Amino acid sequence: MNGLAFVAPLLLVMIGAFNAPILYMLALGFWSKAGGFTTAHYAAVFEASVYLKVLASTLRISLIATVANVLLGYPLAYWMSGLRPTGQLVAVALVITPFWISILVRTYAWIVVLGNAGLVNSSLLALGVITEPIRFLYNELGVTIGMANVLLPFLVLPLFAAMVRIDGRLLQAAASLGATPATIFWKVFFPLTVPALGAGALLVFILSLGFYITPAILGGNRVSMISNLLDKLINEIPRWEQASVISTLLLIVTLVIFALYRRLDRSAA
Amino acid sequence: MTGQETFGRRSVSVVGVAGMTFLLLPLLIVVPMSFSSARALAFPPPGFSLRWYAAFFGDPRWMDAMWISSSVALLSSWLALALGGLAAYGLRRTAFRGRSMIEANFLAPLIVPTIIVAVALYLGFARVGLLGTYVGLVLAHTMLSVPLVVMVLGVAVRDFDQRIEQVAWSLGASWLYTMRRVVLPHLAPSAFAAWIFAFIASFDEVIVTQFVAGTYDTVPKRMFNELILEINPTITAVATLLIGFTLVALGLVALLLRRSGRWPASAL
Repeated sequence: MNGLAFVAPLLLVMIGAFNAPILYMLALGFWSKAGGFTTAHYAAVFEASVYLKVLASTLRISLIATVANVLLGYPLAYWMSGLRPTGQLVAVALVITPFWISILVRTYAWIVVLGNAGLVNSSLLALGVITEPIRFLYNELGVTIGMANVLLPFLVLPLFAAMVRIDGRLLQAAASLGATPATIFWKVFFPLTVPALGAGALLVFILSLGFYITPAILGGNRVSMISNLLDKLINEIPRWEQASVISTLLLIVTLVIFALYRRLDRSAA
Repeated sequence: MTGQETFGRRSVSVVGVAGMTFLLLPLLIVVPMSFSSARALAFPPPGFSLRWYAAFFGDPRWMDAMWISSSVALLSSWLALALGGLAAYGLRRTAFRGRSMIEANFLAPLIVPTIIVAVALYLGFARVGLLGTYVGLVLAHTMLSVPLVVMVLGVAVRDFDQRIEQVAWSLGASWLYTMRRVVLPHLAPSAFAAWIFAFIASFDEVIVTQFVAGTYDTVPKRMFNELILEINPTITAVATLLIGFTLVALGLVALLLRRSGRWPASAL
């Protein structure tokens, strides 16, 4: 039997429900209302300062969320890799579980934790550390915390896998040659984990760029990222052509970073 | 790992435990909150009650959303499993031109940011009159679940020794008989796991649904819209039910894949 016969039904569905809509969206960005090819929509997007501002804040928030993920995720993965096998299994299960829980649930919880009467503020107030509640929500801080939380498993899991693969004899060899623990870590262990760290960070960054739910809920209407802008351009003020242009640009950026990620990921494995 | 015993072990465990707590904190908070007796979002809750569960089950709008979510998830996960299973078999067992490109195409919805898929489907569906229809919603959810099915079953088919199939053929079994009595029973645990993944993916989907569902309310869509408007503790009950449901489903998957001896790393 020909292999194509097995693949054909799914291929038809995917072309109808994925490829064709994406191609239509790409085409719409170059389609003028009067009919025919135009670059006017692209020009309009590049000239609108409000779009550039949203782009800048998306990049900034994504970058901060990625850095926060690295600072938090690296020690977590390092700690996990040093556990006994049973402990490792439990830790991996604990990291994977939130990954599968609805992102709405995980985002919602931060309202409870970070709100003015939330867990963090009420404890800090009770301890007398602060006199006024800190405003965590409906600003970039809250969005960044929520995003870092949702994205952490994407960094920790591949990083952990890379750390477990490191040959312990390399570290012993360094130790027997008189290297101090700090030297062993920075000269031997850390460089071996850099490809996985880079790949994980890129993955987190790609995912951040397209984040929609967390900024919408934790940012109120005050924090705008590209996704929220697209939501407005489609659902509120219908500017479909400009939405197509912005989606196309985001798609290109994502694919370029993804190609980079694949290259790093391959060298990590 | 030996570097660990020597380098900064104690501070590493402090940061590690802190990171793990940060990761799990949302889940640990939502569950007790759902049993709170108070309207305000105070933690710890002042008293125990089931009022938010009563509010959820007593609200016809939530029950309607529950019905839509379940039916869409059932239909789309079965479709994804049937089409994706066939495709995974074809991709692993046969060679044809453009095979790797077609496989990449099946996995693409996982890589393309969901918001872009949502915009594209909105525009495309609007063009052909599928926007806001039940069929469009099921189609969109099927497409989003396909990568998970193809990944999980791709691993399963690859690990299933082809010689067993060849033996069945050489003994005179028809292709259909071989499929039914040899291949499918072997793949059943992975297929069930893939189906659960597809079901969860559909049941939790928010972004594409928000764009293409029109007047159809799914549970996550309703949750999302309520979260934007106001904070209603009924959401904590919904959230807890979702957590419970996901944990049971994941437990089943772990059990099944452990028994069949594969826990695909790709199926995180």
